[in-house]
Amino acid sequence: MRTMLAAMLLASAIPVHAQLDFGRIIDLGKKAVEVGEKVQEASKEYTVEEEVALGEGITAGFLGATRLHPDERLQRYVNRIGRWLAQQTERRDLPWTFGVIDTDTINAFAMPGGTVIVSHGLVKRLASESELAGVLAHEIAHVLKKHQLSAIKSDAGWSAAATGAKAYAADRIGRSSGGDVLGLKSQLANAGVDLVKDGLFLRPLDRGMEYEADRIGVVIATRGGYDPYGFVAVLSMLAQVKPEESGDSITFSTHPTPADRLAELEKVVPTALEKYAAQPQVEGRFRQALGAK
Amino acid sequence: MLTRLTPLLLLAWLSFAGDALAQEQAATNRATDLKERPAFEAKTLAPLAAGAPLKVLSRQGAWTQVEAGGKRGWIRAFHLRFEATVETSSSGGGSLGGLTSIFGFGGRKAPETSKVATLGIRGLTPEDFKNASPDQAALRKLQSYRADKATAERFAREAKLSPVAVAYAGEGGGS
Repeated sequence: MRTMLAAMLLASAIPVHAQLDFGRIIDLGKKAVEVGEKVQEASKEYTVEEEVALGEGITAGFLGATRLHPDERLQRYVNRIGRWLAQQTERRDLPWTFGVIDTDTINAFAMPGGTVIVSHGLVKRLASESELAGVLAHEIAHVLKKHQLSAIKSDAGWSAAATGAKAYAADRIGRSSGGDVLGLKSQLANAGVDLVKDGLFLRPLDRGMEYEADRIGVVIATRGGYDPYGFVAVLSMLAQVKPEESGDSITFSTHPTPADRLAELEKVVPTALEKYAAQPQVEGRFRQALGAK
Repeated sequence: MLTRLTPLLLLAWLSFAGDALAQEQAATNRATDLKERPAFEAKTLAPLAAGAPLKVLSRQGAWTQVEAGGKRGWIRAFHLRFEATVETSSSGGGSLGGLTSIFGFGGRKAPETSKVATLGIRGLTPEDFKNASPDQAALRKLQSYRADKATAERFAREAKLSPVAVAYAGEGGGS
């Protein structure tokens, strides 16, 4: 029963994700039981190493679709804020990486394994470091809660691609009796690229996940010493932008409305975080980093 | 005619949107008080009805400075309702009409052509993703920007950011 399910998963993956060598997996595993068990095992949880490898593949694919902003000073500035925030969390040891992409649209993304991307269009519409911290903290929260991984697991096609890659790599590791970390990495990285092509970033996360990331994000920003209302200001700003005006189609189709998000945040921020409302907004350094005014 | 004008209008809007705090139009989303200072105990300058129009001037933590009915004062950030201030002239199927529906909610619909291009902006469209080939060099570059722990801590101290211990909201009591 378990084996059949696993075999079906693999079979269904072949036409869609032809780039992955699924044919070989099945050949290798004439003993379908063995492969099946590996898929079962692999699908359960991702090790941190697997999560990071998959995330790097996703990021590489993502960067093939857009490009990094050329201002390296800004890139390092965003990394310092992000790393400082990540330090305040239970996953502080991930290889946290932050980046600004060169587009005027308003957007932010989180990849499994600790990579967070914001668009220049979003950054330049913010008024302070506490607002940027709020955005980064929201994305960090998605990584902490493995929301993208959950989305990947819950989609049959995506899940088959990722677990297939894991099983294939696991099989090779088994055969070469250990140490084939590169095999694992490259297979998962390929799967990550496929996920990007297959619309990973175009589909919304569950609304509940967005609200959860909002709630966790404001706490992370507060822990980092920032004014918790920075993110409230960001949502207020977003409420004024019409999707068709800014070309930021993805943010708007993949998130609940800012007004709904503000209403949800109001349930926690004024009660839990009010006493931190006087923490710094850090405006001067933010303006400097943006090379502005 | 309208549709030909639209991209220009949009570009103009985009270029000034960043520094436009002072231009923000908003309204109250409930009946609330206009306070003299950003504090609960401050004197109430005037009661404001739900839906009262106002102009946003600045922000300080939980409070937003506004001008309402000719008076300047402060109201709670959560008592504001913002709306898109710029009416788009393309709403009736102009050059950018339909952009929002490209992605729909939860569906993987066939994309229309990338209309973002009319803005001269490189947006992220489904096509961009579909045609992406992995950029390993960009990935390495991105990773070279990472900050280490010591750098992040120094950076925080420079802005007088002190870490505080706060539990996640809702922890231990439902969600």
